[in-house]
Amino acid sequence: MTEPRTLSSAALVRLVAAREISTRIRDKSFIISSVVIILLIVGSIGFQVAINSGGAESRIGVVGDISSLRPALEAQGKAVAVDVTVVELDDDAAARSAVKDGDVDGALVDADTSSPRLVVQDSADGSLRAVVQGAVAQLSLSEQLARAGVSTLDVPEVAVSPLDPDSEQNGQRIVAAIIGVSLLYGLLILFGQFIAQGVVEEKSSRVVELLLATMRPWQLLAGKILGLGVLALGQMVVVIGVGVGGALAFDVVDVPGDIVGTAVSVVAWFVLGFAFYASIFAVAASLVSRQEDLGTVLMPTTLVLVVALVIGIQAAGDPGGTLATVTSYVPGLSPLVMPVRQAAGDVALWEIPLAVVLMLIATALIVRLGGRVYAGALLRTSGKTKLREALTAGRA
Amino acid sequence: MLEFDGLHKSFGTVRVLDGVGFAVAPGSMFGFCGSNGAGKTTTMRIAMGLVRADAGEVRWQGRELDQDVRRRIGYMPEERGLYPKMKVGEQVAYFAKLHGLAPAAAAKAADEWIGRLGLADRRGDAVEKLSLGNQQRVQLAAALVSRPDVLILDEPFSGLDPIGVDSLAEALLGQAREGVPVVFSSHQLDLVERLCDSVGILARGRMVATGPVEELRRREAGRLLRVVVPDADPHWADALPGVRVVSEQAGDTLLELAPGSDDQDVLAAALRTGRVSHFAWRQPTLVELFREAVSATPEEVAA
Repeated sequence: MTEPRTLSSAALVRLVAAREISTRIRDKSFIISSVVIILLIVGSIGFQVAINSGGAESRIGVVGDISSLRPALEAQGKAVAVDVTVVELDDDAAARSAVKDGDVDGALVDADTSSPRLVVQDSADGSLRAVVQGAVAQLSLSEQLARAGVSTLDVPEVAVSPLDPDSEQNGQRIVAAIIGVSLLYGLLILFGQFIAQGVVEEKSSRVVELLLATMRPWQLLAGKILGLGVLALGQMVVVIGVGVGGALAFDVVDVPGDIVGTAVSVVAWFVLGFAFYASIFAVAASLVSRQEDLGTVLMPTTLVLVVALVIGIQAAGDPGGTLATVTSYVPGLSPLVMPVRQAAGDVALWEIPLAVVLMLIATALIVRLGGRVYAGALLRTSGKTKLREALTAGRA
Repeated sequence: MLEFDGLHKSFGTVRVLDGVGFAVAPGSMFGFCGSNGAGKTTTMRIAMGLVRADAGEVRWQGRELDQDVRRRIGYMPEERGLYPKMKVGEQVAYFAKLHGLAPAAAAKAADEWIGRLGLADRRGDAVEKLSLGNQQRVQLAAALVSRPDVLILDEPFSGLDPIGVDSLAEALLGQAREGVPVVFSSHQLDLVERLCDSVGILARGRMVATGPVEELRRREAGRLLRVVVPDADPHWADALPGVRVVSEQAGDTLLELAPGSDDQDVLAAALRTGRVSHFAWRQPTLVELFREAVSATPEEVAA
């Protein structure tokens, strides 16, 4: 047998973290929650796809040569957001029967004459007529111009300068940010609970006395937060990966770069938020000795998270408002508000580092002060420990 | 040498330890006795760094205990503590790793101890599914698995049936034979008497007696002489000089001799009454020593 060696702090923290991961990964509630979250994401993508596929679609039959008409029809379709499929038909009779059978929404006959007709079942809806009219007009215009000797056409392209730029893309980014922030909220609550339960389990089973005979309280605390943090981050990345991957694969979003950027910022804020809330949850849990008492000590922190989520969602509607702006700096609230503001594109460059730094400072304070409370409260395995008692005990 | 030196501790206004000190030689077993609330657990917790002493220190081989030295101590807390949902084998291996064993060695040592304590077939069970006695064995395995240099066990025998007591005693004696100093506290004084090379009796935060059991006996014995004279008159010893009759019942007489009086004079007097079936200095039991020591302490609990 090899001789026991002295363990560094890092080695101890790693040991604790590894135990947390291996215990939790086999835990039923963890597995179930992971599956549920992934199902939710997949479900919502499916829902989006279903809604989108209900969009405008049109099959247009053309009698005769379709080589020049097909691109024109398709281009016109794109302009009015109709997915056009062009079907080649042999003659008028075929066109009639195709329309009658519902094979096509409309059939264009005598397209190369001066009086083209659109055969439809009862009436042509606006977009169908617009598409066909536009295509035919464009073709005939270029033909006439060519006959007049104008071969290259210099048409000025209209530049679009919207008063509310990128509003549609913004919308998508904001929706993505809201989903991301809600996910972040859910995972923070879930893993906060895991951490709290773990701390109380160690206290109520008294195993903590054995643990503290081999390591310092902060090493135990760090190991737990790190272990569950890695697990939570892994889950977050998997879920977001599935979400973003699915959204891109099924074309739910227009600008892939935007949603990826939003996803990255949500993950980054998750890391910050996790360090902050996990410490608070662990420290709060260290004050009680029974799982039954957990609810009361976790309640204030949970409420803060709920408030943060509500503000975050509200910020989606009013990203530049005072409430959203101020709360996006406040440590603890910022992880749920800032990603939404970032997605809305209303954030000045200096604002993000400021919020991050404030958050880091707050986390450092919590870890320091909380570590003392944790150390002071851990060995008081009877009943509830008052915060102040734990603080003085930790100092003694 | 494991030395506890001048430990003082107060919780608020309650003085729990008031200069507790004793030493345990390598390879010897030290029984730590005392009534409830005497401060045994606090003393052990100070050694394990779970409670900070107001004054005094605990040394192992001349070095004050720190985190590194403590990692070489096998500890069994009074309040048993294990992860209830963790499997026996994994749990013991985890504690081995926390004490510095490499993963492979930890798994091997865990297997070995679980087997040695008769839990081989429960290796894959969660601890909470075991009986209390078996959980106690797991606890012991967790304390022994890292081949500690020192063992500090708080009430290791409480809650065990006689067979469990015997196997635990055997395990502890085995450790002591390998040169490990073993300190354990117990209320079962007969057990302490049987197992320990030396004992310490703690009362109200002070060591009132400490040393090898034999020495304590000699020191604390006084001069009690038991003489059984079946044919004697009940008052046969009343008139002997320097002798006080403690008790007399059908010739079974317990006598306390004043310093300087000669036991041979008593023997002669006894022989004069007829047959003497028993004549010996009486060895006080540890229980009597304990009562004596604890009751002799002046009532001066700090206010």
